[in-house]
Amino acid sequence: MGTAADKLTSLVADPERFAFSAKELRETQVAALDERFRERRDRIKLLGLRARDAGIEGIARIEDVVPVLFPHTAYKSYPESYLMDERWDRLTKWLGTISAHPVEGVSLDGIEGIDDWIARLAERGHFISCSSGTTGKSAMLIASQKDMDWSKVDTVNVFAWGSGVVPAQDRLIVGCAPVATVPKNATIAKAQYDAFANPEWPRWNYPVPPITVGSLTAMVVMRKKIAEGTARPDEIAAFEETSAERARLVADAVPATAQFIIENRHRKLQLSGLWSGLWQVAKAVRDAGYGREDFDPDNSIYVGGGLKRAQLPADYQEYVFETFNIPADRHFQNYSMQELNSGMPKCREGGRYHVPPWIVPILLDKSGDEALGHAEGEREGRAAFFDLSLDARWGGVITGDKVSLDYSPCACGNHGPSIRDDIARYADLEGDDKIGCAGTVDAYVRGVA
Amino acid sequence: MNEIVTPEVAEDLVSAPFFLRGEVLHGTDVIQTSRDLGVTFATPRIPFDRAVPPRTEVPPLLNVPLAEIIDFLVETGQRLLASENPHMQECIERMCRTHILPRAVVENTARHAAAYLDKRVLMAEVEQNFPDPRALDEWVPKEDFTGRRSFVRAFAPRLIHVLPGNSPGVAVKSVAQGAMVKAINLFKMSSADPFTMVAILRTMADLDPTHPIVRSMSAVYWRGGDEATERVLYRPQYFDKIVAWGGGDAIANVIKYIGPGFQLVSFDPKTSISMVGREALVDDATIDAVADLCSADVMTLNQEACVASRFQFVEGDEAAVDRFCARLHHHVARRAAESGDVRPLDRDMREAVESMTLMDDEYGVWGRTDGRGLVIRSDEPVDFHPINKTANVVRVDSLDDAVKWINVATQTVGFYPFDRMATYRDRLAAGGAQRVVHLGEAGPSTIGNPHDAMYPLHRFVHWMAHEDGRGRSA
Repeated sequence: MGTAADKLTSLVADPERFAFSAKELRETQVAALDERFRERRDRIKLLGLRARDAGIEGIARIEDVVPVLFPHTAYKSYPESYLMDERWDRLTKWLGTISAHPVEGVSLDGIEGIDDWIARLAERGHFISCSSGTTGKSAMLIASQKDMDWSKVDTVNVFAWGSGVVPAQDRLIVGCAPVATVPKNATIAKAQYDAFANPEWPRWNYPVPPITVGSLTAMVVMRKKIAEGTARPDEIAAFEETSAERARLVADAVPATAQFIIENRHRKLQLSGLWSGLWQVAKAVRDAGYGREDFDPDNSIYVGGGLKRAQLPADYQEYVFETFNIPADRHFQNYSMQELNSGMPKCREGGRYHVPPWIVPILLDKSGDEALGHAEGEREGRAAFFDLSLDARWGGVITGDKVSLDYSPCACGNHGPSIRDDIARYADLEGDDKIGCAGTVDAYVRGVA
Repeated sequence: MNEIVTPEVAEDLVSAPFFLRGEVLHGTDVIQTSRDLGVTFATPRIPFDRAVPPRTEVPPLLNVPLAEIIDFLVETGQRLLASENPHMQECIERMCRTHILPRAVVENTARHAAAYLDKRVLMAEVEQNFPDPRALDEWVPKEDFTGRRSFVRAFAPRLIHVLPGNSPGVAVKSVAQGAMVKAINLFKMSSADPFTMVAILRTMADLDPTHPIVRSMSAVYWRGGDEATERVLYRPQYFDKIVAWGGGDAIANVIKYIGPGFQLVSFDPKTSISMVGREALVDDATIDAVADLCSADVMTLNQEACVASRFQFVEGDEAAVDRFCARLHHHVARRAAESGDVRPLDRDMREAVESMTLMDDEYGVWGRTDGRGLVIRSDEPVDFHPINKTANVVRVDSLDDAVKWINVATQTVGFYPFDRMATYRDRLAAGGAQRVVHLGEAGPSTIGNPHDAMYPLHRFVHWMAHEDGRGRSA
């Protein structure tokens, strides 16, 4: 491991970690990027290919790393047929092309489905997290035990810094969202519980069937079968039935969770979830006749992700805070993504997301091909990051996000780089003005998102 | 490429005027952005009342004989080709700034498109679409076996056309077809080409600004999906049918407005493929010749068109198929170089191809992801849409194994050897395909043939019946 990278990652629990300016960090960050590049270019096959194509031998400036950043789609570049045909040996080999550690010695005999494959990998210390994006294909993000341990520490630090909630093991954690059962989420949930929950009060899990990687990929496989015309009508009918059943369970989860909250209203609560679920539960609580005066004024909330296309009233945030009596300065938000190992918490004074020293932010043009050469002040562009804390895979990722990155000091007093609270996705901004008559069968597939 | 994205200063802004039934409307009320290249251009605001004639008005072309309409279209075609035509020159200049295709391809396509405005071509189009083309010019008398009499007319419809941005050829075809069915037409241009349709209409107006054809045509631009505009225009009170070319999003967007009295005639998004039998792999000379034919289909309109081949199913063992792939790559790259079009592949595709390069015990890759021509050999179709000069050769033991990959989005199947086509055509049609052609001939088609499994002109018109009761007393 490199000394420069170690220097930066050792700041993980430093209370002043967001105080260092980009200028102060630059030299160490460049050295750390160079270390990471040199130690991994022969270990990560895709990185080696990229580096050879771009003729890159080392990193002397931050911009040098741009040609070898991986787009967020790199982790879903495997052929879908590997999933369709359950070719675990191929999928394992593909995983080896993006992994920093050899993916070897995994027993592939008698695997029953992708969840089983993921369990076999975990036995060998390879933890796979999956996220499904807009294309429906799941990204497969490999992580090591070291990455898991990092997440455990980082998630607590990030939440405590951004919300002001002290990890005092005095809360009842109430989940208001179905959680994908991938190792990273499980690790984070456990770390949050250990730090913030009263150990005598078990976490309330939103009562819906768990989202496993298997259930996510089943949708992808179904979609492909429909597109190829190999899905039989009975299969589609069964799939539609499963979807409807799931929707019913999700609907039932709201009153059940509201009831649990009402019964525990005298306890100090830590709510977590997505806005859509939180808003629905808040509405059910209000409809039952409860509100602000019934809840502890020290309640806290952890919201993940954006709106995810949910249609909510304009005042949905105030409505949730008001219902559960959550103080105004407890509005914790975190900018991160599955592709990274660390979070960027929003400060309460300046309302901006702060980038820690071990994450190198790089602003690119819209196409993501070139660095804007942004070194001071605020500028808008496509966000790319290099997370130096990542161990099992390449830390450099080009996101689909349009952000404003600011190198000036923030109103909160911190001098580190920060991101304005108006992040958008390029994909959502593009609209649908593109009309050619060349198209794929996707346009004919209905019902499987 | 980056400097194009920077918004130009006002005097440098490309202007895209509208055409409203003979009048040209200039304006810079709205700054628009083209797809793909992100170039800005300016348009006027749409004067809705001028773009939509009231239904109380009988369509201007209704009683103009078809023969006269065709004569006018032919004359227009000649003017379009004339080198001194300022509208087309200006159009090509402007288009080269908004369009993804290189100048040579744009110019060539525009020239080629004008060839559609030929008397024999247009007559064949009408005669193939209508069992009795007289119905366009008059009320055709009918009588059934019970003695009931009536008159039937292929009445002039009110059409709103949503044009695609990939080929200027569609503008020429759409204006000719709209005229031949005597429609009142409103053309919605695309952001990749907000110019060609107006240039054609201005050329017509130079010939005769008050001609009924000119008074039947309007062309405007708005950003596709803009509700403020589409909620106004997409109404049965104003139009009978929406004629939509387009990708999935465009069609899905239009479908929201479809209802009683407002029908969709959709030129759906399509893909095309090639099927190459083992006869192509007998020796190196044959491999080269067939690969050349195949590359012509891959490279139709630099693979921006729906007829361009995406997947090539090749029958043979891996070694022989790889020899074919190498020659196919040679010919694709040659045509790509001749066109001067160099655009790197989209990021997602680049990722997928890189992944296949690393999995080289399963895939073959010829060329790179730099937009100069690429061939990927695999055992089944890749799961991305091959575009930008990318061929995906799928090796099969028998072409019978390729049939399962035919689907409802498959438009054209280029086939080799030609004498095996007849044994496959029923299975291709059953799978959803619409057209099987000699390999290398995806571009040209028999004049007047169905398109997207329909006779479009027959679908455009408003079939009106005038029932005249029983002729003889019973």
